[in-house]
Amino acid sequence: MDKMLLGRYINGDSLIHRMDPRGKLFLSFYFIVIVFLCNNWETYVLMTAMVMLFVKLSDISLGFFIKGVRPLIWLILFTVLLQIFFSSGGHVYWHWGPFTVTDSGMINGVFVFCRFVLIIFMSTLLTLTTTPIEISDGLESLLKPLTKIKVPVYEIALMLSIALRFVPTLMDETTKIMNAQRARGVNFGEGNLIKQIKSVIPLLIPLFVSSFNRAEDLATAMEARGYHGGEGRTKYRKQEWKRNDTIAVILFVVLTIALVVLRK
Amino acid sequence: MSIHIEKLNYVYQSGTPFSHRALTDVSLDIADGSYTAIIGHTGSGKSTLLQHLNGLLKPTAGTLTVAGNKITPETKNKELNELRRHVGFVFQFPEAQLFEETVLKDIAFAPKNFGKSDEEAEDLAAKMAELVGLPASVLQNSPFELSGGQMRRVAIAGVLAMEPQILVLDEPTAGLDPKGRLEMMEMFERLHQQQNLTIILVTHQMNDVANYADHVLVMEEGRLIADSTPQEVFSDPKWLKGHHLGLPQTTAFAAKLADKGVPFKNLPLTEEQLAAQLAELLAGKGDEQHG
Repeated sequence: MDKMLLGRYINGDSLIHRMDPRGKLFLSFYFIVIVFLCNNWETYVLMTAMVMLFVKLSDISLGFFIKGVRPLIWLILFTVLLQIFFSSGGHVYWHWGPFTVTDSGMINGVFVFCRFVLIIFMSTLLTLTTTPIEISDGLESLLKPLTKIKVPVYEIALMLSIALRFVPTLMDETTKIMNAQRARGVNFGEGNLIKQIKSVIPLLIPLFVSSFNRAEDLATAMEARGYHGGEGRTKYRKQEWKRNDTIAVILFVVLTIALVVLRK
Repeated sequence: MSIHIEKLNYVYQSGTPFSHRALTDVSLDIADGSYTAIIGHTGSGKSTLLQHLNGLLKPTAGTLTVAGNKITPETKNKELNELRRHVGFVFQFPEAQLFEETVLKDIAFAPKNFGKSDEEAEDLAAKMAELVGLPASVLQNSPFELSGGQMRRVAIAGVLAMEPQILVLDEPTAGLDPKGRLEMMEMFERLHQQQNLTIILVTHQMNDVANYADHVLVMEEGRLIADSTPQEVFSDPKWLKGHHLGLPQTTAFAAKLADKGVPFKNLPLTEEQLAAQLAELLAGKGDEQHG
């Protein structure tokens, strides 16, 4: 579990680190949308160049991003292989039963691969350079308009920030309970399927129980400190929209125009 | 069931950008039937060292031999099961490990895992519940209905039910009231005396170290900086202070008396030793006055 990179934050003070989280969040989502505009070599090269530029600006080594791709590599390869073996059209190189390998299929496979990697790089970039608290604050203000249609945005943001805050705590707790049960002779991840499922019970029940206890304590502590809900609260952390954020937005507008022009 | 550790090194998440060295070249021996206390600042590597003792962590470099089982960086996880039945491990706040429907079943869980039949395991569980001072009336209750202190007892009984030869205790009395703390420490002492259990205790309570341990290991920043007896370690208050450690209350008090000119032969660790030395000194004084 400690090898997991997605959702980690690396402290830093780069251009990307200093960006407004609202801008970063919005542009990352927007990036994922415009990746689907790409449909030829020029557009993919352009997008890759952009991502590399951002990686460079973030002052984080490329190795981190490659590690971020690693856990998903099987999913990516599976999709790529599906593309290669099951697309039709173009010149046929090889044919057997339902499988066909064509040149357009192979090109599509490469494109799907690029698309996956670009999206993972961009979302890794977001989480590596933004603290979880900034992300939930950013989401809250991005979702603000939804309050008009009675979406409880404040509550969602609160739940999100509490959830994010407790991810590492729960991970620690999981490791601790796992170790304690191992010391009592439980072998996690060994034996047949039924045995493995059974071995999870001594882990899950204590985790649920401790989460209930934790939730109760937290609610009591919040009430004791005068929490009454979202209405009429002031904010401690202010988000500032700076010149760099505007520049980034402009860059993305230019990028979109370039993509639309280059795509076929 | 002695323990022998040689040049043990451990690095967390080794090979990743988050890698962090927790133990450096730790070598030590723990004799069969001894009572070892491990002390040191928070984050000095005490818990990491403990987790090696039953194979929860494997060394990054170096070897350790526990109860005849040798563990090297190459040891397979399957081979560690044999080791775990010899080493009982009471984690910090062990009440978090309870999960069965009844107290009895929870205590019987570990022996069942190590191959005891249901009946044997439950007999053993009832015996252990009595040993840790749980009333028989709670055995059929859910562990989650109990008080914090009783849950702790259930958890400890669950570890003792494995009938380990080495008992590892990671701050077993943290968060207990003074009475509960004393009862628990006395219980471990009884086990140590009666069953010749090897006990390894991690604690911040210097009083417990002075009262029970016969061997002290001091850790700092992943290194072992002292390996001797409580008498030796507590004889140098200045050295302890330099390493952010304190004295047992009795020794601290005696050190103050020594500053005022009371000539102790060596600094007493326990109240009994202090009383004995004072009585001796007073008796000596009495003789002088008479003679």
